[in-house]
Formats: sequence, C-alpha cells, structure tokens
Amino acid sequence: MRSVRPRTTGVRPRATGVRPRVGTRLQSEPVRFWFDGREYTGQRGDTAASALLAQGVRLLGRSVKYRRPRGLLAAGPEEPNALLTEGTPPTVIPNVPAPQLILRDGLVLRSQNRWPSLRYDLASLLQAGGGFFGAGFYYKTFIWPSWRSYENIIRKLAGLGAAPGAANLMPPSIEHLSCDVLIGGAGPAGLAAALAAARAGARVVICEREPAVGGELEFEGATIDGQGAAHWIGAVKAELAQRGSRLLMDTAIVGGSDGLVIAHREPGGLAGCNTVYRIRPHRFVIAMGAVERPIAFVDNDRPGVMLLGAAERLLARYGVVAGERPLLFGNHDRLYAAAARLGAAGIQVRATVDSRPEAAAASGGAAAAARAELSRAGVECLFGHAVVAAEGGIVLRGARVAPLVSPASIRRFDCDAILVSGGWSPAVHAGLHEQGARRYTDDAAAFVADRQPEWRLTAGAASGLLDLAGVMADGFAAGDRAARACGATGSAGRPPVASGDGNPRLIPFWRSPASLNQEKRQFVDFQNDVTVADLRQALAEGFIDIEHIKRYTTLGVGTEQGRTGSILGAAIVAELRGLSLARVGASRTRPPYHPVTLAALAGHRVGAKLRPVRRTPLHHWHAANGGVPESSEYWMRTRFYRANGADAFSAGIAEAARVRAHGGILDASTLGKIEVVGRDAAKYLDRLYLAKASTIKVGRGKYMVNLREDGMVLDDGIVLRIDEDRYLATTGSGHAEHMLSHFEYYRDTEWSGANVALINVTEAWSVIVAAGPASRGVLQTVLGKPWYTGLDRLSHMAFVDGRWQERELRVLRASFSGELAFELHCRSDIALPLLQALADAGLPPYGLEALDILRLEKGYLAGSELNGQTTPLDLGMDGLLKLANPCVGRTLLDRPALHEPLRPRLVGLRAVDRKASIQGGAQITAANSPSQSLGHVTAGVYSPTLGEWIALALVARSFAAEGTLLVARDPLRGGDTRVRVTAPVHFDPAGERMKS
Amino acid sequence: MSSLACPFCGPRELDEFLFHKTLPEAQGDEYAVYERANRIDDSLEHWQHVRGCRAWLRVRRNPSTGEVREVQLLGRGHS
Repeated sequence: MRSVRPRTTGVRPRATGVRPRVGTRLQSEPVRFWFDGREYTGQRGDTAASALLAQGVRLLGRSVKYRRPRGLLAAGPEEPNALLTEGTPPTVIPNVPAPQLILRDGLVLRSQNRWPSLRYDLASLLQAGGGFFGAGFYYKTFIWPSWRSYENIIRKLAGLGAAPGAANLMPPSIEHLSCDVLIGGAGPAGLAAALAAARAGARVVICEREPAVGGELEFEGATIDGQGAAHWIGAVKAELAQRGSRLLMDTAIVGGSDGLVIAHREPGGLAGCNTVYRIRPHRFVIAMGAVERPIAFVDNDRPGVMLLGAAERLLARYGVVAGERPLLFGNHDRLYAAAARLGAAGIQVRATVDSRPEAAAASGGAAAAARAELSRAGVECLFGHAVVAAEGGIVLRGARVAPLVSPASIRRFDCDAILVSGGWSPAVHAGLHEQGARRYTDDAAAFVADRQPEWRLTAGAASGLLDLAGVMADGFAAGDRAARACGATGSAGRPPVASGDGNPRLIPFWRSPASLNQEKRQFVDFQNDVTVADLRQALAEGFIDIEHIKRYTTLGVGTEQGRTGSILGAAIVAELRGLSLARVGASRTRPPYHPVTLAALAGHRVGAKLRPVRRTPLHHWHAANGGVPESSEYWMRTRFYRANGADAFSAGIAEAARVRAHGGILDASTLGKIEVVGRDAAKYLDRLYLAKASTIKVGRGKYMVNLREDGMVLDDGIVLRIDEDRYLATTGSGHAEHMLSHFEYYRDTEWSGANVALINVTEAWSVIVAAGPASRGVLQTVLGKPWYTGLDRLSHMAFVDGRWQERELRVLRASFSGELAFELHCRSDIALPLLQALADAGLPPYGLEALDILRLEKGYLAGSELNGQTTPLDLGMDGLLKLANPCVGRTLLDRPALHEPLRPRLVGLRAVDRKASIQGGAQITAANSPSQSLGHVTAGVYSPTLGEWIALALVARSFAAEGTLLVARDPLRGGDTRVRVTAPVHFDPAGERMKS
Repeated sequence: MSSLACPFCGPRELDEFLFHKTLPEAQGDEYAVYERANRIDDSLEHWQHVRGCRAWLRVRRNPSTGEVREVQLLGRGHS
C-alpha cells in the first residue's frame, strides 16, 4: 500500500518528476535553500542530497577529469560525486558531500567542476578525445614548448572545488576525554558493545558519525529481543544514558596514535562549530561497520546508478525515492530483502540481477521468502547475470543485462535507477593507522582487521561478520571483554537476540565483462575518474605494486580516499594480474579518515593563545612614549622611540649617541633571574660556571659564563652574591626557563644530594637600567637622601639593597653599554613610578637598537656571538680558562676538535673605506679566494661614537690576527666590503668610562 | 607514546615534559658526544616534567614502538 505525502508548495516542479516522499520520519517544517542559483525547499532534517533528490534533481556534479555528469552514489561521507560548495565567494566551503550537509535556511549551494553550467559543461567536450587523459597523462603530455604554456588552463580545470578566499568560521574547540571503553560506531555492533560494557560498570564513550544512531538497523527491519529495531534502539539509548555513558553524535573517528584517538565532530556537515575530541581510552572497540562498494560496468557512473544501501537509507530516513522503477544488481542475498523492502514502500522493482549462480543463494529463510514474494509480484530474479552497461546520459534510461556465460546476448531493461551492491569493505581504518594490520578473508570477500595492539578490539563488520545476529553477538562479547580488561566487574547480562538480514552468502564479483575499448568507461574510482582501462594501462607500463598503481592512476586519492573504489580497484588488479586479492593487498590508509580542517585540529591554539605575548610591567609606558615594539625571545620589547628618528636605524644612532653624551634609561625587566639558595649554593655554582662563584664577596657581582656539556658556551650573565648561601644568577632574556632546567638537571643527576634550591624569579623583579655620565646624579635626585652616599661609594660590580617609597630596591652598578650605569631591581608596583621619575629627572629612554650599538662598540657579547657553536676559547675568554675550574663542559672543552686552526675567533672589524657598511650575516673571505668562507659577521652597526661602521665577527683563527685584510661578502644585499681585523673592543678598551 | 607517568604526578600528556638526552652507550665516557648508537630496542633517556613538578626522570622506552617500559625519578640518591 502506498502512502503518499503531498509536497509542500512554493517550488516549481521539474519536468523529470518531483517524487512524493514515502513514510518519512522528518518533521514537515520547510527549509529553503539555493542550489546553482535556483531556490528549493526541503524539510527540517534533510540533507542537501535528500532534498534535491526529492525535488527530482539528479544531476549533482561533474567528474574531475572527464567532466562526466554525475549524481549521488552513496549516502555518507564516502560520496565521491556529489560534492558541493557552500556559500558565496570568497567565503565558501568547498567539497562538502551532499549527503552529509544538513540543510539550514538560506544555505547557498553550488555544484563543482562545471562551466558554464552543470547541465551544459564546455570541458565535457574534451571527452571526445577518448584516451587522452589516461593514467599518468600528465607525465606524457603538456611538454612542448613548456609546461608553463599549459599551466593556467590546467589550474582552472584541475581539482575539485575552488579554495575559499576568506573564512567566516567559529573557532573550533578541543575537548580532552578519557574513559574506560571507547566505542567507535553506534550501529548494531557498537550498541551491543556499549550495552555490555556499561552494564559491566565501565565508563563508556560512544562516537557515532551520523546524526542518528543505529547504522543499518535504520532500514533493515530487524527484530531485537522481540521488539522492532527502532524501539530497541530507543530503550538502549535510555539505558546507556541512565548508566552514565556518553554518546557523541555527528562525531567521526579520524585517526590517532599511541593510545590516543582523535574524533572530529562536525554537526550539520559544515565546518563551523567543529569540536575535536582527544580521547584516551583504556580500551577501544572498533565497530564502525562497513562501506558498500560498487561493481564496475560500462557507464556505471551515470546519475541514477547508486549504491543499494544508499537508496535504502534515503528511503528509510528521509522518505526519498531514488528511483521509481529501479533495477537491482549485486552478488549477495541482501538484494532480495532490499527489493522486498522497496516494494513494500510502493517502488516497482524492475528486476534483480544476481551475479551468483542460483545454487549459491539461500534456499530457505528470509532471503528465500523474499525471492518467492518477488516472483509472485512479477519481478524477474536473474541469476548468473550481470549488468554490462547503463544506458542514458544525464538521465538514466535503462540497463543492459547479459548472462555471464554468454555476455553477447544482451537484454535491455527500462529503469530509472540501477541500485548496485558488490559487497562491503569493513571500515577498519582506526585499526590500521598505527600498529595494526589487515588480512583478506574469503568469507566476507573483504579485508578485515588482523593483529591489533592490546588496547584495540574489533566488533561486527570490522571482524568480517555480515549477518545481524552474528554482528550483535560479536559486539556484545567485545564490549564485555573490553570492560573486563578495564577492571569492571558488573554482570553484562545476556546478549540481545537479533534477527534481521541473515548471512548474505556473498560471492565476489568485481566487474562485468567488457571489451578492451569498453573498459575505458568502466569506472572504479568515481572521484578521480579511474577506469578499468587505467588499471590495465598502469600494469602494462610496469606499475604492478598496488601502491604504485594508486599513485600512477590516482586510484583512491582525493577527499573520498578510496572508500568505495580502493578495494574494487585492488581486486580488479588482482584479476588482471592473475593473483589473489590477498596477495595484491590494498593501499595503505592514513589519517585523517574524514577531511578535517587544519583549524579544527589547531582549535583555540592560534595566535596569542599559541604563543602568549609577554609584556613587562612598563609596556604601556613605552607605548605611550612613542616606543616601537619588537618581539624578542617571547617578550615584547622596545626597539626605538619615535621621537628620536623616523626609523630604527636613525633613532638607534641618536639614542646611542645621547647615552654616551648624557644618559638614558632602558627597560631590562626581561632579564632572566634565578635565585640559588642553600648550604651548597656556592660550591654548586662553582661547578656550573667557568669561573668560581664561591670567591664572589657578599654584596658584589661577577660576570660569569657557563658551558654546555660539550664545551660550548651556553649563557652568560652577572651573578650576584646576596648572602653566604644566596646568589642571584642572571641569564639572557628569554633563557631563564632553559637555564633553570640546566641547573636542576645537574642538581638532580650528577650532584644529587646537593643542598640547593633553585627558583626562577625572572618575573618577580622589574629591572631598569640608568646609564650615562649623568646617571648617578639623576639617580641620587630621584632616590633621595638615604641613597646619596651609598651611590657615591658604590663601586663597579657592587650592589646595595635598600628601599624606595617603602618598597625593596636593589641597585647594582654594572654596565652593558660601557658607560657609568646602574641596574635597578625592584618589584613591579614601583617600576612605573621609578621609570617615570627617572625620565622626568632628565634621563630619556633608549631601546634595543641603541643598546646593540652601545654593546658592540664595547665588544660585549650577545646572542649573535653566543650562538651555541662557540667555545670560550673562540670568544677570547682566555683569562677565564686559565682558572681551570672543573665545571660542566670543562673536560670536553679540551678535545682536539675545539683547538683546530680553523676554529673561529672573535674579532672586531672596521671597513677599509670609512663610508662603507658592514652588515651582520656577511660572509668573511680572503681577498684572493672569494668562495671559501672563513667565518661571518655576527653583528654590524654604524657607530656614532666613532663615526663609521663597526662589526664583530667570528673568523677562522689563522686569519684572525689584528690588521689582516679580509672581505665581507654580502651577495644577497648587494655589496662586498673590504675590512680590517681589529680588537673586538672598539671604544674605551680600558673601561674607564664605566668605572668612573 | 603520548603520555608519561611521572612518579609524583601520575600519567600526564607528553607536552608537559621536556626531552633532554638519550644516555650514551658507555656511561661516563667523555667523548660520547661524538658517538650515537640508534638502537631499535630500548633506549634510556632523561626527561624533565617541566610543566608540572619539574622532577627529572629516567625513562626507559622502546623507540620503535613508543612503548614506555620504566619511569624512575632521578636525583636525591637515585641515579
């Protein structure tokens, strides 16, 4: 009996017939959307595929190479043909499979791969070329006069959808979960497994890719524990919820490794509100069912040729009729059950074409009963036959059927759909991405999961079971096993008893007979237009390994990743090679199993949330005073101040000149600071630094260098002795974390038991440097009377602790600029007032650009010299080395390689021509051998103090004598400069200015 | 291996830890800086739980399968 729901109005019915829906479970609320410029109406819950099919729109896309008209093949993300672009350029989302795209009001959808329109595509005329685009054509064509002549055209024609120019997506979220048992798939096996595990007391999480639960139970018409499937599913969902199991819908398992499973939730099928789940289960049950595969016959890609399961799902979930007079073609008993179901919905099945001999079909049971009923209804059931060709172009008109024993005697059937099922390929990808294998089993004619690591189990179709009773029992057992492995002790009870479609008794059948010429139109991989002829050609050209064939023919590449075509292709290759499919194998599957946007995987970890911006407490003052910021080692620092020049170069020079002439203040809060405290602190630091720390007097500091294990300089800084047992070690900006780990390592390994506490206090202290001849006077004014004499008496490298405005202040007399300078260490709440007071009292600020000029004039070291590849010897620290302090790295410092004549030596450079520039990064060569590099310029600046460019460089020792003439070569920035080697200290070598 | 079991903090995600080095074959050999034996079976490594308790750990794991065999605390009398 046919129950007809009349269509809602507001839509122009198309000539090819809008079909009324049959028994849909959807709500009747209308949803308007656009497809290729025309407005359509669907129902709430429809996908783009179901709504368009219901409106009689069968042509949904064109293929990528030959631009053949295509319609819907599958009802899931494995859909290769009907890929749509959503949105209006430039904000589009391409390649969305129509059966996954749930309609929302106002969606604008477009088909892909066609111009000027879907119906009339110009490039499809290229088909007339026939075998021009066979396998590997791009290696053999488009060669003369050059590839570039064709590039533009090819770029326009190639590919699936067009990339978006802009995105308007909500930021995706990442959720971390852990559970006892993770179940992938909520079909019969998955639900049974979940039931068993939850009843046993395990914490269960289930991931289901579809918006509905039940898998094939949706249309199979099964009876479980005496109830209808829908009823049973409802009861199971309620029980699982009550037991605290978590069901994630619209969530697909896409990959994972090392005990981590990644699932991706994309509700509505559109990138937008995605969630990525990072799940760490104790046990993972793979119950993701199987993907139906087609059979290759001539023109099997026409709109109207569809997978049988897809047609059943469309009918059951959406009430959409894929074809009013379909022909069914397959190699198993499910054909008959499906035919009976379609018939019950009022669809007139034309015939069933079974490639198996009649003897192979079940003689009793539900399948036989279905066959009997079909015969009674006048439907022809052919055995030992195959559909050899589809007839029609954009509209399917019929099918040509022939017996396998005599393929020439062709019979023609009128039909408007060919529903094909060549069997099922278990979805075992989650068991293959790492540490898993698959094997071919003849029972299911499929690759099932083989060896799995202990934490993963398979259930249902993944284990090769295809009958409902077996699937549910297997799922239940797997869930029980998984729960026990997690230590759950509850009773799972009895497994559900199910009866539905029985064992399909499948006999593999991969392609219908065809002539060599006809093989060019027998499609194996729809998305990439790979035909049987392509496979044969690849074999003929010597690509016999399945992985080579995949890449040469593009079988199984693209968004669909061979879900419908890979195994079919491998089987056809096996036939052509005369080998078993088990021997040929299938190409490796890799994550992600479904397309996932990079944005989804990144989640919120982008921009500032990936690399947080660190600011000093004085950041806003710099901004307010014209400071131009620069990111330096995770911190925002000031490069120069706008008042002093239009760009970094001129401002830096002006600021540096002013510091030497008068004075300036610098924000050095980013300086790394580590407190080293304890009875053994002095001895401990002795072992970590090149010079001894135990000889530093309380109240003084010393410039210290420490080494890596292999003898290279790791870091440098001033170490202050605050007390007998208390030191403050400073490190380079941004190095504090690393140095803390370095210190902790030696304390915990080599010298475990040392009584030393290590605390990173970098962010506890702000540091302001006041430098220049006027610095002392200004400081005395600002800090006031209590500090007067102290500051007068403070000698170089000594410090004094005191208070300012009731807060702690430490003043260290140390200099990186070479001028008289003081480092003020204070808590952040007085940093700003202190800085402002110093500025008001006449010390203007200077930035990193000026600092670099100042330190270079003095030959002081920074990151460009302390690059991790230089030893203290290279850097001229001979004095420190003579102390022979046995510290970390000391032994390996003596290895011969570090004393060879080509080891670099730190030198200064001046240009022979006073006006020429010397740039950091330039390579140093001898004048007469221009291609052999002797080193490089580490940093070069224009020095206002000396009125010319100066530089520091690392030059091979044997060329580093003072006065040597060399060339600094800078081919990228254009220019070679003749240079003369000098001492690294260019200005005030005795250090008189800072010791004044 | 995407997690390590810190003796103090329990099993934690890998990005909480910092890899320092693989211990050389011959312990205490100064010139081990030049030698490296990439073995497919177990390797002994030093890791630090930087985003946690900052303990230094000695980890024995199989670099081929990623399986962690043993995690021990370094320091304070352990070696």
